[in-house]
Amino acid sequence: MALQRINAMAIIKLTINGNEQSIDVDPQMPLLWAIRDVVGLKGTKYGCGVAQCGACTLHLNGEAVRSCVTKVSRAAGQKVVTIEGLSQNNDHPLQQAWQQIDVPQCGYCHSGQIMSAAVLLRENPNPTDADIDVAMAGNICRCGTYPRIRKAIHLAAGAEQKVGKNE
Amino acid sequence: MNTPTVSRRNFLKASSLTGLALSLGIYIPTNAEEAEIINAAEADSFGVEMNAWIHIEPSGKVTIFSHRAEMGQGVYQAIPQMVAEELEVDLDKVNIVFAKGDNKKYGNQVTGGSSTVRGSYKNLLTLGATARQLLIQAAATKWNVPSSDCYAEAGQVIHRPTAKRLHYGELVADAMKLETPKNVTLKKRSDYKLVGKPLLRQDTKLKTNGTATFGLDKEIPGMLYATVERNPRLRGKVKNFDDSATRKIPGVKHVFKTKMLVFNTYREGVAVVATSTWAALQGKKALKVEWDDSGFEHLSTDEIFKRQQQALQTQEGLSFKQQGDASAVISQATKKLDVVYETPYQYHACMEPLNCIAHYQDDKLEIWGPIQAPEWVQDAISKEMGLDREKVIVHMTFLGGGFGRKAFMDYPHEAAVISKEIKAPVQVVWTREDDATQGPYRPGISYRCEGVVENGKINAFKLRMAGQNNDHWRGGPKDKANRSTSEGFLKPYADGIKNLSIADVPFETPIPTMWWRSVYASTNGFAYESFMDELAHEAGKDPMTFRREHLPDERLHRQLDKLADVSGWKTRKPGEGYGMAITECFASTVGHVVKVSKGQDGKLKIDHVWAVMDCGWYVNPDTIKAQVEGSIVMALGAATQHQVTFKDGVPVDKNFYSYQLPRINDIPPIDVYVMDNDEPAGGVGEPGLPAFAPALANAIFDLTGKRIRKLPFNLATV
Amino acid sequence: MSVKTVYLLAILLSMTAIMAATFIPDTERSDTTLTRIETAAAPIRKDSVASVKAFASVYKVLMSPRCMNCHPSGDIPLQGDDNHLHTMAPRRGSDGKGLYAMKCANCHQPTNSPGLHTPPGNPDWHLPPATMRMVFQGRTPHQLAKQLVDPKQNGNKTMEKLLEHADDGLVLAGWNPGEGRSLPPLSHDEFKKAWTTWIKTGAYAPLNGKLLQH
Repeated sequence: MALQRINAMAIIKLTINGNEQSIDVDPQMPLLWAIRDVVGLKGTKYGCGVAQCGACTLHLNGEAVRSCVTKVSRAAGQKVVTIEGLSQNNDHPLQQAWQQIDVPQCGYCHSGQIMSAAVLLRENPNPTDADIDVAMAGNICRCGTYPRIRKAIHLAAGAEQKVGKNE
Repeated sequence: MNTPTVSRRNFLKASSLTGLALSLGIYIPTNAEEAEIINAAEADSFGVEMNAWIHIEPSGKVTIFSHRAEMGQGVYQAIPQMVAEELEVDLDKVNIVFAKGDNKKYGNQVTGGSSTVRGSYKNLLTLGATARQLLIQAAATKWNVPSSDCYAEAGQVIHRPTAKRLHYGELVADAMKLETPKNVTLKKRSDYKLVGKPLLRQDTKLKTNGTATFGLDKEIPGMLYATVERNPRLRGKVKNFDDSATRKIPGVKHVFKTKMLVFNTYREGVAVVATSTWAALQGKKALKVEWDDSGFEHLSTDEIFKRQQQALQTQEGLSFKQQGDASAVISQATKKLDVVYETPYQYHACMEPLNCIAHYQDDKLEIWGPIQAPEWVQDAISKEMGLDREKVIVHMTFLGGGFGRKAFMDYPHEAAVISKEIKAPVQVVWTREDDATQGPYRPGISYRCEGVVENGKINAFKLRMAGQNNDHWRGGPKDKANRSTSEGFLKPYADGIKNLSIADVPFETPIPTMWWRSVYASTNGFAYESFMDELAHEAGKDPMTFRREHLPDERLHRQLDKLADVSGWKTRKPGEGYGMAITECFASTVGHVVKVSKGQDGKLKIDHVWAVMDCGWYVNPDTIKAQVEGSIVMALGAATQHQVTFKDGVPVDKNFYSYQLPRINDIPPIDVYVMDNDEPAGGVGEPGLPAFAPALANAIFDLTGKRIRKLPFNLATV
Repeated sequence: MSVKTVYLLAILLSMTAIMAATFIPDTERSDTTLTRIETAAAPIRKDSVASVKAFASVYKVLMSPRCMNCHPSGDIPLQGDDNHLHTMAPRRGSDGKGLYAMKCANCHQPTNSPGLHTPPGNPDWHLPPATMRMVFQGRTPHQLAKQLVDPKQNGNKTMEKLLEHADDGLVLAGWNPGEGRSLPPLSHDEFKKAWTTWIKTGAYAPLNGKLLQH
């Protein structure tokens, strides 16, 4: 999928969304651009380049890392999950809640929003509003979908709890 | 609703040109403001190209084209929701695609002014109904029964007496041959299954798994990546540059001086083209450029507002509206209010920074990008580059925010120039810093408001604004008042205020300005509705009652009642921290009530926001609520956090670390209500914004007695 | 010499004078602390005047943005030379490494990120943990000195560990703050010297700290 590449500098092995992949990149290249331009997964977005907005959030070994300031070399040999790999069928409880509440407007920031929220729910399956504020304050939404993000996280948390009870 | 009144309608039958499919469209004479509906395919005989809005294939697949940009406001949902309603198809069975930019086919495609639904809903409903009627007719003919015995539902035509049914796909071939009906009957609003319902948006799924393609996500074969180091000042030129370090960066292929069209002027820069975005960014960073900034003034923010306010003290300006003699009343009054409001320059700050792909080859240019106004791109670039207009092909992607910024032609033009130079397709990527510092911005404006209250009523109301006129950048007349001088101000006030004067004091700077969500209403609204609150207090009246007494308009009274009801306005205690404001924008009216309090830490806190939108006839109430919620969040940032500041002609804030946007922990609870009536459709995407800042400032006055006349202000230090 | 430098010098000189006049060691309370430290290791040559004087330098550094910003009085770290709250309000978390999607290392890389206003980096970037918050913000010299040598408040550090702490990776990061950030007021060598002197002369806590805060 990659079109052109920077002169070979290093072969970096990544596990992206469960697939092992070797890419030939400048090890200094931010993970964001490696994933977008080289691997070709475009769901992870560029917003600010300085870890201010969270649009580039993906999971590196399960943590909601800001890929715009994370060198691709940091991810070598590690597990990367992007929005494309969060679930098989766009059916992670958060994705479902996002769809049910129609959270996105322009939608640009929501890959990052969902990836951040996923870490929150993993570590705190029943977050309060205050927990949501803490977890999500690193993700800017210019369309102002915040009230719905909050609602959707609560909804997903409820859904997860229900699943838990049925098991 | 009423049957649309369309003056001249020509329905064309399907032609072989469109293949075996029922393609229906609307013919819009070039440059017509209001489209005239025709229906499709025999376009060649009419001398126009077919515009496929609805496309039904024999397989039964229905495609509906969206001619407007989707930037979050929900047209991707609204257009099909309207067409599918009258066409009688299930929305989830419909395939939605973006139309290419082509205003000869689709009419005005500029997504701005909250205009999509209000501008084209009658046409789109009629279009859907026409298709339905054609399909019913085809079935009736086939069955040899009266068409009045048949009806359409869920993509099928059904014969009522026998329950015989045929799928649309099976009727396409016959329907294509039929004469298109001259008059169609639209459904009654009470029979709607889709319109008016809070249906889920069709684009949400794409936006939750990373598959929605925004401009920056688009790739075309052989594409290179470019960044540009642009002069930080408009009209600035490149004196010289040193690219020796840039050229050493692996992947950098070209470095050259370039330019882009900014209205009627050019901004120069140095382009770095590389094999990856990262290499281009590195290359840009390594550039050393010396700029030529001679020949124009380098202004700082303080100086701009000082000049505006001096002008307001000495000039009457160009009259926009004049009734009675406000100046005379004010000059003779023993007591009057005379205050100045100030609203800052603002940056759009779309989450998706500007970007554009251009592929220039021989005499043809193809463009892909997040574009609000494809036809303007065609116009400007074809003229600028000497191409036939038809040879400039503009493909629209999803927009990661627009807010007015992506309705301009600078970034597509720049991409086209770079592609032409390197003879290859290229994606020009703007960094956040580029996006934040190049403008055009919402103009900063000062307002002088004078008023006289007598016997509890306004006797004179005199408003003057001094700020840049966006129209001037596009060649608008300079001897006339800004046509948006009263934007935001409720029109019926003119019937309730005897002596009224609204004027525009011309003001220019070299800083490029343009529309920002809700345009002048976003700033006018703050001045005019804060001043209305000042007058109400001067009159010793409840601010809502006071407004009502100056608004002889029943529709507005109903809206004010609703606002009072939902916010608990009437049971509040004075001084408890309630404020209200109501503004008009793009044919819709929105009123806000804001409740504030002081926390234990002494800091001001917004407890709640209530909003009531009256946009007349509407498509999707949930989209409306979402738009108003978002507008309030955007207005909150503009009122309390961010502004563009200039130092020596250069914007100071470059990224979100200093141009701080609201985050989730800044957002108060927001409740939005939508009025139900059969008035003509108004705008939805922008009108929710202007009334927030004045409602907040009025609430703060109610709580603290402190009148805020300058935006932005810091909630923590009020 | 610029006016600013002269001005600063004048302040420093006057501070020295004030210190000499007013910094009477808090002998009683310092002694309790010292007992514990002495049992831990190393020779101590008690000298309250020298100790307090050295602490003045230590304090200046610890209260500089590069140190204090990660030793806030609340649970949100500070940013910038004006010590404003970190704009996206990340929380300490129990281990000091942040919470949920807002863990320090999500943005703060093992090394400084290039460019202005980018996250400074360190492999161990964190705040003090919730159980040992080690607050600098708002502390008077007296309070801070007492706190630094109190094992209950310094992470059970012995004197030896305290001495070593001057070369801790995160402490050193203060002198490699990333592009555009001001450095602590003393060089690391000067700081380490003052730190060592302060401890080895008895880790006396100055009584009147307020004067030093400027």
